[in-house]
Amino acid sequence: MAKVRDGDPEKLGLLYERYKRPLLGFFVGMVRDKELSEDLVQNTFVRILKYKHLFRGDGDFRTWMFHIARNVKNDHFRKNKIAHEKVDKWEDKIKDEGNLMQEWQSDDEQRMLAIALDKLPEDKREILLLSKYQEKKYKEIGEILGCTEGTVKVKVFRALQDLKAIYQQVEKMM
Amino acid sequence: MNKNQIEELIAKYNEGLADPSEILHLELLIESGEVDLTRLRELAKFDESLDKFKEPIASKNLDQKFYDMLLKETSKSKRFDYSSWFTLDSWIPKLSVSLVLIVMGFIGGTLLQKNSGGDEVKILANEVSGLKEMMMISMLEKESATDRLKAVSLSEEIQGPSKKVTEALFKTLNSDPSVNVRLAALDALHNYAKSPAVREGLVRSIAQQDSPLVQVALAELMVSMQEKSSVKELKKILEQKSTPKEVKQRIEESIKVLI
Repeated sequence: MAKVRDGDPEKLGLLYERYKRPLLGFFVGMVRDKELSEDLVQNTFVRILKYKHLFRGDGDFRTWMFHIARNVKNDHFRKNKIAHEKVDKWEDKIKDEGNLMQEWQSDDEQRMLAIALDKLPEDKREILLLSKYQEKKYKEIGEILGCTEGTVKVKVFRALQDLKAIYQQVEKMM
Repeated sequence: MNKNQIEELIAKYNEGLADPSEILHLELLIESGEVDLTRLRELAKFDESLDKFKEPIASKNLDQKFYDMLLKETSKSKRFDYSSWFTLDSWIPKLSVSLVLIVMGFIGGTLLQKNSGGDEVKILANEVSGLKEMMMISMLEKESATDRLKAVSLSEEIQGPSKKVTEALFKTLNSDPSVNVRLAALDALHNYAKSPAVREGLVRSIAQQDSPLVQVALAELMVSMQEKSSVKELKKILEQKSTPKEVKQRIEESIKVLI
């Protein structure tokens, strides 16, 4: 990234090839629409180029990128005024509603996990996706979310507890 | 809470027997770093499963959109940045170039005053040209890409460049780490394309390029020079798996024009 910042934008191609899938995974998990997610991946890289001078180089590129990706996602929700769906009655929807994430999973367990993840509230889904794509670097996730490492760990703990509860219910219904 | 009590609490949680107040206590221990999330067996299992989660594959449409944007952006940055002319770092090489030129002018003026004969003027012009060449070649060795870009533009001031200059420009075109410098070297060599040796060198350079931007620029140059002998080299780029789709399309178009 330092090379991109210092006048060699072509190097962004390497970063794109390395991070396009994790970014796409993050967006699909958050917005549940593959086409829209691809647009958001593109917007993230446009913003990386636009704000390349702000990359200090003393931190991890991945953290900086997910910070931008999160802003791109939030701006999208804000601009389109998408009402964040409440998931009180998610049990009714499991069987008749298609789930995007499960399409890519190879076994039943992973597919049920995809359904459970999809039914989590947005903030909990986000913390688990960030934990996955930031490779459990809770301090860096704290930088993205603007909170301490300890708070991130507690958020992950609560999200995993809810995920487990939903998964067990999904398992019973299948 | 001592170590044993913490271990007991973890064991209770793992058995599914912890009550809400104990879970709250556990949260505090997680927050302070006294309990690691991986110790909570059931939850760790879910966390691991999430890590194995497969993500979707990006469509070709996304790749195309990204590389289109990148090509546009890179060609923008290829243009001269006037703001960089005024930065402090850029003044040192500029001052040294100016100083050399002033000294050369002074020596030239003195010599001309002493003797206005045509031979001396010719000798002086050769000396100035030699100095410029030397300066350009030494600036091409510099670490800063900006300095190397200036060296390339300096080559354009040299009348009837020597083999040394074109060789230095070819070395830059084929091996400089910065794409912008390579593109500038290509522009400079374009000016000498009347020379068969330069044309031949440009054709040979095609196979040595790994940057899509330089590949496209070379293909366009071959079209403008109507250099049919380049088709074979251009086809080699098409055969490379790593060549982006957009670049392949542009090269195919160039080949069509050349044939």
